[in-house]
Amino acid sequence: MELFLVLWHRMQSLATRKRRDAELDEELRAHIALATEENVRRGMSAEEARRQALVDFGGLAQTRENYRVQRGFRWLEELARDLRYAARQLARNRGFSSTVILTLALAIGVNTAAFSLVNALLLRRLPYPQPEQLGAISMRLTGPMAMDAPSSINGEQWENLRDRVPSLLSAVASSASEVNLATAERSHAVRAARISAHYLDVLGIHPAIGRNFTEEEDLPNGAKVALLSGRLWRSVFNSDRNLVGQAIRLKGETYTVIGILPESTPAPMDTEVYTPLRPSREGEGRGGNYEAIVRLRDGATWQQADAEIGRAWADVGRSFAARNPGTQVSFHTVALQKGATLQLRPLVLGLLLATGFILLIACANLAGLMLVRMERRKPELATRLALGASMSRVLRQLWVESLLLALLGGTAGVSVGYAALHGLLALLPKHFLPVADVPLDGHVLAFTLIASLLTSLLFGMLPALFLRRFDLSERLSSRFCTSHPRLRLRQMLIAGEVALTVVLLAASGLLIRTLVHLETLPPGFDAKGVLAAKASLDDVRYADPAAFRKLMDESLAAMQRIPGVKSAAVGLTLPYERPLNDEVTIRNGKETGTSANSDVIYTTPGYFETLGIPLLAGRAVASSDGPETQHVAIVNLAFARKFFHGENPLGRTLNKETMIVGMVGDVPLSPCFGNDDTPLDREPTMYIPAAQVDKKLLTLVHIWFEPSWIVRATNPGEDLAVAMQRTLASVDPGLPFSGFYHMNDLRAKTLYVQRVEVAALGLLAGLALLLSAVGIFALVASLVTLRTREIGIRIALGSSLREAIATVGNSGVNAALAGLGIGLALCAVLLPAMRSMIFGIEVYDMRTAAAVVLSLLLVVFLAAFTPALRIARIDPAQTLRAE
Amino acid sequence: MGKDRTDLLQGTLDLMVLKTLETMGPLHGYGIARRIEQVSENALILNQGTIYPALLRLEQRGWIKAEWGTSESNRRARFYSLSRLGRKQIEKETENWQRVAATMARFLAPSS
Repeated sequence: MELFLVLWHRMQSLATRKRRDAELDEELRAHIALATEENVRRGMSAEEARRQALVDFGGLAQTRENYRVQRGFRWLEELARDLRYAARQLARNRGFSSTVILTLALAIGVNTAAFSLVNALLLRRLPYPQPEQLGAISMRLTGPMAMDAPSSINGEQWENLRDRVPSLLSAVASSASEVNLATAERSHAVRAARISAHYLDVLGIHPAIGRNFTEEEDLPNGAKVALLSGRLWRSVFNSDRNLVGQAIRLKGETYTVIGILPESTPAPMDTEVYTPLRPSREGEGRGGNYEAIVRLRDGATWQQADAEIGRAWADVGRSFAARNPGTQVSFHTVALQKGATLQLRPLVLGLLLATGFILLIACANLAGLMLVRMERRKPELATRLALGASMSRVLRQLWVESLLLALLGGTAGVSVGYAALHGLLALLPKHFLPVADVPLDGHVLAFTLIASLLTSLLFGMLPALFLRRFDLSERLSSRFCTSHPRLRLRQMLIAGEVALTVVLLAASGLLIRTLVHLETLPPGFDAKGVLAAKASLDDVRYADPAAFRKLMDESLAAMQRIPGVKSAAVGLTLPYERPLNDEVTIRNGKETGTSANSDVIYTTPGYFETLGIPLLAGRAVASSDGPETQHVAIVNLAFARKFFHGENPLGRTLNKETMIVGMVGDVPLSPCFGNDDTPLDREPTMYIPAAQVDKKLLTLVHIWFEPSWIVRATNPGEDLAVAMQRTLASVDPGLPFSGFYHMNDLRAKTLYVQRVEVAALGLLAGLALLLSAVGIFALVASLVTLRTREIGIRIALGSSLREAIATVGNSGVNAALAGLGIGLALCAVLLPAMRSMIFGIEVYDMRTAAAVVLSLLLVVFLAAFTPALRIARIDPAQTLRAE
Repeated sequence: MGKDRTDLLQGTLDLMVLKTLETMGPLHGYGIARRIEQVSENALILNQGTIYPALLRLEQRGWIKAEWGTSESNRRARFYSLSRLGRKQIEKETENWQRVAATMARFLAPSS
């Protein structure tokens, strides 16, 4: 109770300080007056009475001070006073303040951007109820191909998961693809996914209007029903409340809308339309094509679930081990968020590390600046100490200055971070990140605040270390500083900065070389003049191979009539894309019975010609190849090398009775097999005539892929795209192209990760180099200023200008060289961690190392000797006179 | 009562001020200081200024109240008076002191 009263009183006093000060003064005056009166009554003279009264009172100032101590929150008032003083100091030294704030804004800003990514991907909870109960199924392989990552499952695994793992509520989905949605006005290409009946239940999403799928609808031959996302409902259907129960035309068929998802929850897989998956053991269920998500039921544990999965999928393990001796496979649950972001983790954390380096480099620069400033303020500080301020008080006030700078820099940094983040996100293709958005939320702001505080400690603490050995008398009396102010310390800071810069430069150098390597892989075809357009044939009208063939013939004939078009063709996938893969068995010759994995692409006649892929032997797909004639295939060089050891593959038979009739050159594509994650490579590929694809395969591949119409023309521009769209519409008005691409666009799409890495890290490395250069420049410039007198004397005594410049510049250069050495050592240790991101070159690549060293030396010499050149303007006569 | 010496000193001064106000009625700062000097028969010579932080402390705790008024010599001065809480505090502290004194007396008495 007492404490509360005291606090309350103190808070009131805060508000009425001035008035209370005045009242106290009046009260004290009254006291002295009363005392004087009494003394006069006792017989003293007026003067003596007053003097005695004052003596009896004690110190007036002291009393006032003690009174104030009792009255208010002392530390708060002092802090306020320190802040005001700091603000005045900063306003007076605008050059210094703006340099510091700008540097901090940049450094903290990039950290904010990087942390926003880390936060959105790794820290933020999934936007579903009880997200800690959500999981995915991860496949762990031991042995030579060791890995542990979520993988897709097949129909049999799904049925066992659903029926024999009671601890989990499970669901599966297909990956998202583009399909055609036809409304009265036009056709839209929308993103769609197929989900099993309980998918939304696992996530905990309930339709805002209508209902979820039932289990009957999820069976093969179930009703054609669809769920729409809230966003699609709003944009295409104008939030029509009567839409539920109505029919829409999806994939060429009629679907009934049974529900609309709420717009407040992010739509799973960022799609617009959901239809029942109807998982089975046939068709796509034969292979690993379903992505599973699970929710732990109440009362169950993850260990129980893992054990049950192990039992349910025991067969899978056994047959896998039989086919791949030496490897063991096991399955376990993993948190859904972790599983989804597994690949991105190292990238995002690496980015945060790089921005952390930038912050350290910036702090080193600022610490150097602060040291110089402290040096200049020595007389002022000495005076304050002499007047009775305690050392801790002075230090605290200095720290408040750094704090104010850091907070201002941090606030500016938030805007810089916002801009940097959105710049980065703009570089990424849509749907690249598994989260809907990357906000600057509370966590990020808290991070920025903490970063600012730590920064202020880092470069504000230095004056503290520096002031500890402070000799008052020396500082007060000396006008010139003869001893060197902390040169060693500043050189160490420079060395540290340069070391970190070297690491960043080397890392970005390796990534740049990787990107260059990937982008300049021999294309194996001629991309000039080629335009590609994709359309979704996941449409009931083209399930019949005859209808499909008719579409191919008519659309291609019409395309070839477009003026300027030299040739046209259709292919399931194109170079640079990820193709269909399958297992093939060789039926004759030495290698009979061998089966292996190959990519499979169906093409129309003219595919190789349109793309400019060289025909090395035999023939290409011809219009004579039809469903009734001999099934043929054309393989690429990689296929021949891998399965026939370089011998001529013509005449060999594959699978049932497909005969190899031709061989073409290799083209780079996004590999399906292979041990490392190289984004572009050549793989054994088999091209088959589109006309010879059977009904079952046709339906499947059109669910997974959008085939491309490719056209070689003299002028592949906007007009050509419009012409192609019109041509296709003339053949089938309900079939829109979903996008147009140049071959380089496809390559860019496949290499997006590498491009973003290069952009981000390259920028950071450049920033680090700039900051280091600024640091070295500042060091040498301050040396020149401080040692002007000494240099003037030296020159007067006969030293050459060059020697003088060299002496000063060398301080900077030596520090940088030390940093270079440390940096290279750090590289040797840290760079191997990047092995998974580098392709085509070694981690310890000599050319990259040479480039890094050369560019660093160039910048260092420029930064160190430019300010040193000012020495040329020193007039020795003048400096001597100033003595 | 406080734990260390400064608190002890403050505590005794507080009690003296409260008792003074109880005996003398409302009084200004100077009056209270003089009275304490007199009662302690000048054994306690404190700097009169120290009374003011003490008065503020008592005011913050709600044991005394303050009002502006006029002195006998027609001077405007701030007069302090005891509050109800203050009277209760006097009782508490007096009891405390008497207990302490009694205990000490027992220790200091000639052994018998």
